[in-house]
Formats: sequence, structure tokens, C-alpha cells
Amino acid sequence: MTTPIIRRIVEWLLPCLWIFSFYIMLFGHLSPGGGFSGGSVLGACLILDRHVNGANAFGARFTGERLLKLALAALLLYGFLKGQSFLAGVLHMNGLPVPLGTPGNILSSGLILPLNVLVGIVVAVAFYLIATLFEEGHL
Amino acid sequence: MQGLHLTSLLSILILMITAFIMPVIKQRQLVTKVSLATMGVVLVMLALVAVDVAKVEHYTATIGHYDAPFGITFDIGPIEAVVGVLFAFVSTMVVWYASFGIHKEIKENRVKLFYTLIHLLLASLLGIVFTSDLFNSFVFIEVSTLAACGLIAIKDKPENIKATMKYLILSSLGSGLVLMGIAYLYSMTGHLNMRAIHETLQVSVVGNERAILVSLTMFTIGLGIKAAMFPLHVWLPDAHASAPGPSSAILSGIVIKAPVVLLFKVLFMVYGHEILKDTVILNLILIFGATGMIMGSLFARVQTDLKRMVAYSSVAQMGYIFFGFGLGNALGMTIAIYHILAHGLTKSCLFLSVSSFIEQTGQREIDKMRGIGREMPITLAIFSLGGLSMVGIPMLPGFVSKWNLALAAIDYGQIFLLLIILASSLLNVSYYFPIIINGYFGNANLEGKIYKSKMKPVRELVPLILLSIMMVIVGFGSGPILDWIASAMPSL
Amino acid sequence: MISFLVSHYFQIGTVILFGVGFMTLLLNNNLIRKIIGLNIMDTSIFLFFITIGYSGGREAPIINGGFKGIDAYVTPIPTGLMLTGIVVAVSTTAFALALTILFYERFGTIDLSEVIDSGGD
Repeated sequence: MTTPIIRRIVEWLLPCLWIFSFYIMLFGHLSPGGGFSGGSVLGACLILDRHVNGANAFGARFTGERLLKLALAALLLYGFLKGQSFLAGVLHMNGLPVPLGTPGNILSSGLILPLNVLVGIVVAVAFYLIATLFEEGHL
Repeated sequence: MQGLHLTSLLSILILMITAFIMPVIKQRQLVTKVSLATMGVVLVMLALVAVDVAKVEHYTATIGHYDAPFGITFDIGPIEAVVGVLFAFVSTMVVWYASFGIHKEIKENRVKLFYTLIHLLLASLLGIVFTSDLFNSFVFIEVSTLAACGLIAIKDKPENIKATMKYLILSSLGSGLVLMGIAYLYSMTGHLNMRAIHETLQVSVVGNERAILVSLTMFTIGLGIKAAMFPLHVWLPDAHASAPGPSSAILSGIVIKAPVVLLFKVLFMVYGHEILKDTVILNLILIFGATGMIMGSLFARVQTDLKRMVAYSSVAQMGYIFFGFGLGNALGMTIAIYHILAHGLTKSCLFLSVSSFIEQTGQREIDKMRGIGREMPITLAIFSLGGLSMVGIPMLPGFVSKWNLALAAIDYGQIFLLLIILASSLLNVSYYFPIIINGYFGNANLEGKIYKSKMKPVRELVPLILLSIMMVIVGFGSGPILDWIASAMPSL
Repeated sequence: MISFLVSHYFQIGTVILFGVGFMTLLLNNNLIRKIIGLNIMDTSIFLFFITIGYSGGREAPIINGGFKGIDAYVTPIPTGLMLTGIVVAVSTTAFALALTILFYERFGTIDLSEVIDSGGD
């Protein structure tokens, strides 16, 4: 799995994958994509890195505990942001003053952009943990 | 009281938030306390929901700022309120019981995962019952399947892995069928909200009869696999018998009941009676329910393992509920929902007391349980109370179910069905009473046993005692409960 | 009948795929093939949902140079629902695969017929 050809090609491929995953996550409200697909590409990129580079990979410097805490924090923040909107809807009040946004403008979409990023983080960490769980035994 | 309308959604949110906080807390005692506190708060909230529904009679809570049919709503009436209180009460008692002894059954580093899974499971079950949007209920069904599989596989023996694999495969089949049924309904009507589909289906029945029949069959078989309808019950004995004690109580008490409530809503509130009368679905459910009542008890008689016997008895009792659906008249539907209450409380009592027996004596076979009445008197008393309710002794909830089912069968017109109910009661006697009689009486059984030698301390038995007191209250106060449930039935 | 089959070929292909996936999940003995069957079945349902929402002549619901009014776009609701469905299917597949690894460690085989004792007891 670690012949020189593969190592060379992956060295050139990984930066493109990173940037592409961030593009999908950030532009989720303007073009196809969004949190889940961006997170999947990021997770696949981290797994590829781990398989080819072994201990020098980007993901190897985080332990399983810290990644789990990062994912849980992102999930809780998502829950609070969305939860106040749902609860305000039940009471027929308006929640946080969040703008509705104009089509075509990346920064004006209100809460969609941070929510996409949070979902992407959670999905990427989940994929990475599941794939590397049986190699090292994090949990 | 707009604020009280919030508590249904808030309870699900609180359960999920605490479920995600718990894996990062370090000490085990703090996790137990957090879990117990959350369960208590959720129980109080759902009791408030029930009080609110008793005053207002039915309300709709819109999630987000979009009304039905464009948004998701929670439609809460008497049925959902009563079933919600049942789920919260059984979960609270089981978590209380588990906080004393779960670390003896599963590994130390998995106890936090156990509490997380129970919170997720309760949140998704409440979501299935409350929601009024079909795709939302599918998502909650999948979450509950994964959480229930986790609760079985958390004990690391080989038979647990085998049982979880069976449960996961059959449950995925069921979910696939339910999703295809939802797709058919969406293609026929273009809506996903239950009331909107009902109104649109009334006008567009004419060209679509085959599509309606196929989608109805898919819903019945798919939800029947998850609720252990008779020929589709094959995953239940392995799964419920090999799981750890508190898990079996939750699995048998409430996890197989939520798909039944969803099936009730789909059959009688989305499709409605006029469409159902033209198809054979109700007769099919009646036949499956009646066969299940007899065959479940017959299988339970030949078991030697105590938990497997109680699991097969679950199959028989779910047959009662499907029998009530199949009869199709108002009394049948009401008594099916009442039996969800009765069986949920009774079966959790039984499974928790059986788990006490197994934990204290170390044996699992029925023959080794002779004379246990002298060693563990209170636990066997609670087991006997549950067994008497299953058989149908008056003043306990099982009797109310059987009596009203017999009345509904007479209303339906076929006297043959009365014989089936009677036969199933007698079969229930034949496998519950030997345990009780051999436990308390008989000189050959009782010699060598010391009084109260293996009893658990009373403070660990308090959740069991509270469950049995609630079961007796549901039996005594069955009149008002039945009237309240009957007020929510759709008109025929 | 033939004109119906020809004009609705998308939906018929989808339902045939559903049948193939269902039978693979139910009847095959190998665990990995069961998981593949589960994925085929779920994917076919997603395809069915999306073909319901299509109406000819309209374009995808992405604003690409001025908003053209409501009737120029395909309805975006089925696509949004199916994203949720794909997430659910991926989670179930991940759990099933992890369980298969545990199964292999305990029993030494991934053939279900060698392990399950069939017939009611």
C-alpha cells in the first residue's frame, strides 16, 4: 500500500482534496454540497493520509479522546443553535435576529454557513474514528 | 398556556443534549447522577404534557416557523400523551434499577455508553410517537433501531453478537419497506404530513387502488417486523434473552411498542376506515394476531431458560395488540392502546425481577429456581403479581384487556375468537404458575433454603415496587383511562 | 400496457432494483453480501423519490444568474429529504460493518448459515 508511486501521487493529491472539501462545505448554500458531503470528502482525505503516511499523518497527532471531544462540542453547538429556532417556532416568537439572505451572496445566508461547517466537522471526525478504530484501539 | 406546549419538544432536546455530554464526563458516579436527574425531569415534563392535553384535548406544536403541510408539526392528543408518560416512567425506573447493578454485567468502560444509548433510545421513541410527519418518523425509527442494537451488543458474549446481527438485518428489511411505503404515498399525494395525506387520499382513491394496497402491505409488514407480529418475530427471543437485565426490560417494555403506535396512526389516521374496508389488510392482521397469541404461548411452554420464556411471552402479548387492531371496531382499537400500557408495565416488572433472580443466584434455568420464594420473597411476590396480570386475574390490567377484547370480539360477530382468547389465557397459566408454586410451596423445594438469604437490600428493590404499584393503579383506574383514550379514536 | 412501461421506465427500473436488493438482504448467507444488498435497496428508494419530483423541461434549483420565477425550477424537497436518508443509510452500514468485524473475531467465519441454529425451539 505504500509504494513510492502512491506516496508521490498522494503528496500532490492531498492539498487539492483539503481545499475541495472546504469549498464544498462553505458553498453549500450556493451550489450542490453542504455539510455532509464536505465532511465525507474531508474524512476520506484524513483516512487516505493515515493509510499512506502512517505515523506522520495529520490525524496521528490527535488522540481519540480529543477528537471525540471536538465532535461532541460541535454537535452541542449545532444543537443549541438549531434548538433555539425550533423552540421559538413553537411559541410563535422570533428567535435570534438572523438575516434571511440574498441569493448569490456567500456571507448573507444567516445561520446556514456555520451550521454547514459544524456538520462537516462532526461527519469528518466520525468517519476518521470509525475507520481507524480497529487499527489502534482508540476507544 | 403556550409555555406548556413547549415541553414535548424540550424533553426530546434535553435527552439528546445530555446523551452527548455523557461520554466526556470522567467519573462514573457523576454520570449516573446526571442520568437519573435527566430522567426525572423528563418524567415531570411528560406528566405536564398529559395534564395539558387533558385540558386542551389536542394540540399542535409547529417546529420552526412553518405550518403544516410545509413544516414538521407535533400533533399531541390523548393517545400520544398516555404512551409518552408510559415510556418516561418505565425508563426512569429501569435507569434507577440499573444504577445499582449494571457494572456487574458489562465491562467498566462501557457503562457511560450504556446511559448514552438509553437516552438516545428514549428520545427517538418519544419522537416516533409525537411526530406527525412521515419522513421524520422514519428518521426516528432508524435512530431507535441503532440505539437498541447497541443496547444488546454492549455485553460482549458471542450470543449477543449473533442476536444483534439478526436483529439488525431484519430491522433494516423493515425500515426499507417502510421507506418504500412512504415513497408510494408521496408519489400519490405529494405531501408528507399525516393530515394532508389523509385529505388528499380521500379524493384520489379511484385510479390508485393497487398502489394503495401495495403501500398498505409494505407499511404493515415493515412495522410488523419491528413490533414482532407473529411470523416475523424470529429475532425477538435471541435478542431479548441475551441482553443484559435492564436492557431487556426496556427492549420488551417500550421499544417494540413505538412501531405499533406508528402503525395505528398510519392505518387509522392516514388511510382511514373507508379505504381499509375495501382491502384485506385488517383480516390479515387479525389472523396474524390470533396465531401469534397461541403459538407464542406454545413456544414459551417448552423453554428451559427463564429469560427466553419471558421473551416468547412477549410475542404472545403483542399478538393481543394486533388482534385488537384487526377487529377494527372502536373498542378493539381502544383496548389495543390500553394493552400497550398494561403490557409495558407488566413486562418490565417481570424482566427486572427475573434479572434480580439471575444476578443473585447465578443460574438461568427454570428448574434451578425452585424454593426461591424463601430466599427472595419480595422479588418473587412482584414476579407473581406480574404473572397474575398476564393470566387475567380481575383488578389487574391484564384482566381488563382480555375482558374488553372478548367484548370487542362479540361485537365483531365471530364467537370462535372468544375460544382463542380463552385458550391463550389457559396457556399463560401453564407456564407462569409452575414458577410461582415451586418458588413458594412444596417441602421438597424448600429444604435447605435459608429465609431472605439472597435478597437484595430494599433500597435496590424500590424501582420494582414502584413499577408494580403503578401497574395495579392502571388496573384499578382503567375506567377513566379507557374513556380518555376512546375520546381520541377517529370516527368510523 | 407497453406504452405505460416505456414511458415510466425510471420508476420500473427503481422497483426492480428494490426487489434485487431486498432478496439479496434476505436470502444470501454471506454477511458482506447482505450489507451490499442493504445498500442497493436503500439507494433504489432514494432514486425513486428523486424521480417522483422531476417534471420535464425545468432546471435544477440553483440560482445561476437571476431568479427566473417559481415555475422554472424542479421542486427541491425530495433532494433535501434524500440527503437525510443517505446519512441514515451510511450510519447503518457503518454499524453493520463494525458488527461484522466483531462477529468474525468471535466466530471465525462470516457465513451466517454455519452459526445460526435454524428452526424454532
